[in-house]
Amino acid sequence: MMRATNKFCRDFLLYMVGSLIGLAILVTSFPKAAWPQEEATSLISRYKGYEVSTGYYEEYEVKPLEKRPLVGVPGVTRGLFPYSPTGAPVRIRTRLADSHQGIQFYSNLKCKDCHPRETRDIHTVRVNLTCRQCHGNEPIASIQHYYSPMNPIRRHAYICSKCHEGASASFASYIVHAPNPAILSTMESFPILFFAFWFMMILAVGTFAAFLPHTMAWGIRELLMKLENSKGEPKR
Amino acid sequence: MNPKDKNRISRFTPVQRIFHVGLILSFLTQSSTGLSRLYIETPWGKKMAWIFGGYESCLTIHKYTGIFMLCWFVAHLIHLALKIDWRKFPWSLFGPDSLLPRLEDLGQAIQHTVWILGIDRLIRSDRWGCFKRLDGLLMKITRLPPLNRVNYFKEIDGLLPEIIKPPNFDRWGYWEKFDYWGVFWGIPVLGITGLLLAYPLISTRIIPGWGLNVALWIHRIEAILAMGHVFIIHFFIGHLRPHSFPMDRAMFEGSVDLDATRHERPAWVARLEETGRIESFLVPQASVRRRVIFYIFGYTAITIGFFLLIGGLVNSTSITW
Repeated sequence: MMRATNKFCRDFLLYMVGSLIGLAILVTSFPKAAWPQEEATSLISRYKGYEVSTGYYEEYEVKPLEKRPLVGVPGVTRGLFPYSPTGAPVRIRTRLADSHQGIQFYSNLKCKDCHPRETRDIHTVRVNLTCRQCHGNEPIASIQHYYSPMNPIRRHAYICSKCHEGASASFASYIVHAPNPAILSTMESFPILFFAFWFMMILAVGTFAAFLPHTMAWGIRELLMKLENSKGEPKR
Repeated sequence: MNPKDKNRISRFTPVQRIFHVGLILSFLTQSSTGLSRLYIETPWGKKMAWIFGGYESCLTIHKYTGIFMLCWFVAHLIHLALKIDWRKFPWSLFGPDSLLPRLEDLGQAIQHTVWILGIDRLIRSDRWGCFKRLDGLLMKITRLPPLNRVNYFKEIDGLLPEIIKPPNFDRWGYWEKFDYWGVFWGIPVLGITGLLLAYPLISTRIIPGWGLNVALWIHRIEAILAMGHVFIIHFFIGHLRPHSFPMDRAMFEGSVDLDATRHERPAWVARLEETGRIESFLVPQASVRRRVIFYIFGYTAITIGFFLLIGGLVNSTSITW
């Protein structure tokens, strides 16, 4: 009886593992998953994609987007902020038709002269995108300017979907110029990233801090014991 | 067959070994393709990506190997479900044969650390004469006759607290349980964040897009933790420490040397001998040809691991994180 059960278990296991592997191989041969591009109605989220994209439901204005982390000047939400350590305070520039309005010798500057951090992210470094491929030609409108292609209500359609076909407004809320997750100012601008990063870091550093010295000392101890045993009488 | 030839004790079933081999192959593939992409800015990363057919091709391999790993994990869960003794559930989960952490593991870890640091020997040998001085002090205070010097260390042996005695390992050491649960937690974490990142158009219907920023960092750090742990700690314990050197074949051959195990895991062997099951656990050594294959396979994995570890560390400052 027991033997038969064992055999059944083994056969069943082999069958399951085999079918899983087969399924995995089969999945690779399927065509790419595609979702319909048009809006879909459902009881759960009626016209959600449409609402999020346009800010309208039928003729009513709706709240366009849920609260999202947006990287800005830490501690400044409105009003004046220091544009550079040496420069005079300027107007907050995220709502202008020309975001670089009034900057002296602007035509002689390169983007990275003032935005060095924005040239160090996956899109720029790995895929070699240039600034203009997303931000467009002069004048570059501020991302919050109502007619800007970068405005979150249409960013997904005007910018992201140039490469990411079918991008939604939610997709476009990915922070391309992601802040450094380790620094304290990220706790203000993007707290989830900050805390997730430090949770994982503490886990990783804790593991290494405990196990690296432990394992090394273990090796040394065994080596010493081996030397001792080969010299004198065997111990335990 | 001569029963004397059966000098090894069975430790892993064929199914468990197949799971481990699949894990090795997929883990090394994931590590190399993932690091190729992370280090694509450096010549080292570019050369490694070239092996897999470039930056884009690395991602394709990485995705499908990841899906394979998740299937492998599900298969392992099914295996577990079949292996659990459901009649005595949940008590069958807490025996010494189980990989679930027990309170003893914490005690054994402390005992082992004490043994590693040689504290028990320091006390036994009374290196700095602390005990002698303490004894003298006590004699002065209490005005009692001195302890019997001949039986001094024997008495101390009895007085030694449990913590200073060498650990009496059963079937699974605490480090092995840590390894197992590390993978058990790592695959879902890497798998879920990986799936979110692999199919962003679908995943951003469920989570907001900025969740991918978070998922990317969790994926990265967990992957670095996993690689660091496997390539340094797991490889050192399995291959390079004097007890296992040149290689602990247990996970490939399925068995370990009986004498070495009696030394390393006395409680397990004693338990098997007590219940009289030891005979059914004894197996002969694998053939030379198979052993050669095990060594080649093991050392290939180690070479790849060290290559990734050293390359990753050396180039870590020249990439955009």
